[in-house]
Amino acid sequence: MAEREYPGAVRGTPIADDGDEFTFCSTCAFSAACLSEGYDKSQLRDLHVLVEHVGPFREGDHIFREGDPFNAIAAVRGGTVKTYVNDASGREQVLGFFLPGEVIGLNAIASARYPCNAVALDTVMLCRFSFPMMATLASRMPGLQRHLFNLLSQDIGKASLLAGNYTADERLAAFLVLLSRRFAERGFSATRMRLTMARTDIANYLRLAPETVSRVLRRLQDEGVLRVDRRDLEILQPAVLGELAHHVLRD
Amino acid sequence: MGAPGSLIRVNAAPCGVPHTARMQTTTFPGQSAAWTFDRDLLRRYDRPGPRYTSYPTAPQFTGDFGEAGFREAARRSNEEPIPRRLSLYVHVPFCTSPCFYCGCNRVITRDAGKGVAYVERLRREIGMVAPLFDRDREVVQLHLGGGTPNFLPPRLVGGLVDALAGAFTFSHDPARDFSIELDPRHVTPDDIAMLSAIGFNRTSLGVQDFDPEVQAAINREQGVDETLAVIEACRRYGMRSVNVDLIYGLPKQTLEGFGRTLDTVVAARPDRLAVYGYAHMPRLFRAQRQIREEDLPDAEARLALLGLAVEKLSAAGYEYIGMDHFALPDDELSRARREGGLHRNFMGYTTHAETDLVGFGVSAISHIGDSYSQNRRDLPSWEADIDAGRLPVWRGMWMSRDDVIRADVIQQIMCQGEVDVRRIEKAYGIPFGEYFHAELAALRQLQEDGLVQCPPGTIRATPRGRALLRIIAMCFDRYLDNQGEGTRYSRTI
Repeated sequence: MAEREYPGAVRGTPIADDGDEFTFCSTCAFSAACLSEGYDKSQLRDLHVLVEHVGPFREGDHIFREGDPFNAIAAVRGGTVKTYVNDASGREQVLGFFLPGEVIGLNAIASARYPCNAVALDTVMLCRFSFPMMATLASRMPGLQRHLFNLLSQDIGKASLLAGNYTADERLAAFLVLLSRRFAERGFSATRMRLTMARTDIANYLRLAPETVSRVLRRLQDEGVLRVDRRDLEILQPAVLGELAHHVLRD
Repeated sequence: MGAPGSLIRVNAAPCGVPHTARMQTTTFPGQSAAWTFDRDLLRRYDRPGPRYTSYPTAPQFTGDFGEAGFREAARRSNEEPIPRRLSLYVHVPFCTSPCFYCGCNRVITRDAGKGVAYVERLRREIGMVAPLFDRDREVVQLHLGGGTPNFLPPRLVGGLVDALAGAFTFSHDPARDFSIELDPRHVTPDDIAMLSAIGFNRTSLGVQDFDPEVQAAINREQGVDETLAVIEACRRYGMRSVNVDLIYGLPKQTLEGFGRTLDTVVAARPDRLAVYGYAHMPRLFRAQRQIREEDLPDAEARLALLGLAVEKLSAAGYEYIGMDHFALPDDELSRARREGGLHRNFMGYTTHAETDLVGFGVSAISHIGDSYSQNRRDLPSWEADIDAGRLPVWRGMWMSRDDVIRADVIQQIMCQGEVDVRRIEKAYGIPFGEYFHAELAALRQLQEDGLVQCPPGTIRATPRGRALLRIIAMCFDRYLDNQGEGTRYSRTI
């Protein structure tokens, strides 16, 4: 697949918008799971499962809140979504970031309510996969539910990696390497990306102070490993960054 | 062609053509980027326009931006992965006597108490504004302008800088740029010593013209000796760069008198010189009404005065930075220009790129992220806001994506004299030729007049064009009604 510019570039977006009521978009996050279980869009509609484009959500808009009844998962089509919970003292704890092509709401799939909040960090477009009743998935489409659980386990995987006893450099390197892989998987550039999340969010997610995030980035920049220009980040020495992240990512 | 570093003057006088139509160009090949002072061209393009210390320019700011906009801008600027470092500007509007040419924001008074009260309120403004910026964002640049910053005695300036140092994190890097504008008539060598101890490492001195006739006409009597003493004191107390301001086009100004001023100033060898053209706009600037229009040099005389300045400065080894600024080859501005590290902000040309600018005091302008804002322009309104615990924001704006792109292009023109078209295309994901279709059409007129060349992938000012960077930049200013303006002016001879 040809390398494409980072999300947000004016010149085209890798997330296609070529579907309609009857056909999935060519890049749909849900089509593989559905079609492999034998569901096309009209069959889904017969089961009252709707696959529809929603948005735009503006920066700060919530897509769902902790405790809301669970009735949909959604794939990000444009923008960035942050999930978080509030801890016992009311402080925000960032759980993760979701890039175009990734699915939010999966961690609610085994319960009746969303266990966290999801907020748009910039202008967000979603493809919402909604079911009128939780029971529909479990009873009528167990195969599909299993597919969606698979997506969830990948999600859990990436979150736990950053909780261990690692240095700030290692955590930040792992964060950037994972971002880079996720972008690359979607056909975006592996080395040029836009950090749409605020530094306090990155810091929160990595359990670091915001100043530390900047200090590490500045040092990596001085060493020529990467280059930061406002929100744009370019990885100049992927091998060096990979080496730094190796301990955390163990791959 | 002469040896590098020498002057070449070309006088072309076609037979039978009257004296006034004789074309005169002066070329300076010895400089690291040759530029040509072409009177004919300057004559034709002598039109008013913005100085592009910002884009969009201040007239585009609106009143709905307000305190909320400023707070939002500060918040957003803290959230970048590596938040920008800071430049601080403090405006001191007071002057003890009015210079008639001045259009700056100022308050004429001899009451030192006004300065004390002003600094008190500045402390409060600092107390409200500084906490909006994360403490790991270092201050790498500080500038005191006015008015007359040295209206405040050094101890008061010290208190002000202490307040800033406590509320912000000052960089300890010796490359930091802490500068102050000074009126040499009201500052002593001891004052300079104290200012240096406070942390200032660069000064800018007003001179304008030493000719007594001119000084009387502009109400600014300033002796040569006292000025030279101040320059010497700046050197003695470690100011690493001294700038002198001169103005051409002042009432009663003559080539002889201005020439003597230039010789005197050049002999003192300031690191930088700014040579401004006087803009007579008495309807806008009250003090200028005291200048008699009959005393003003006409357009030809202005050009001759500018030409004389350019000639003498270049002969003395000064390099042309852009707009009206000159600097010695070893000055950091010259080095920055050669290496591509030159930028332009409200303080003029600067080596410090990529900082957010926070302005304090009456009329001060801030540039935070993609926003601009300006404080109240009159003292009573600024005081009222501070006293009520409000940020004294008068107007401002958020830059659109188009503004950001054009600002980049204009910055390149004003600082490098050249636009790297491919870089703009890549950075913003736009096809330059399509996006700037109308602007490039306007640029063609300038191309025909020899101001710019457009080889593939570049827009470059020619040696002639380097004296008219503003005119080139104006092609990309969407807020000017300038599409096709180039065609409105007919060619002379």
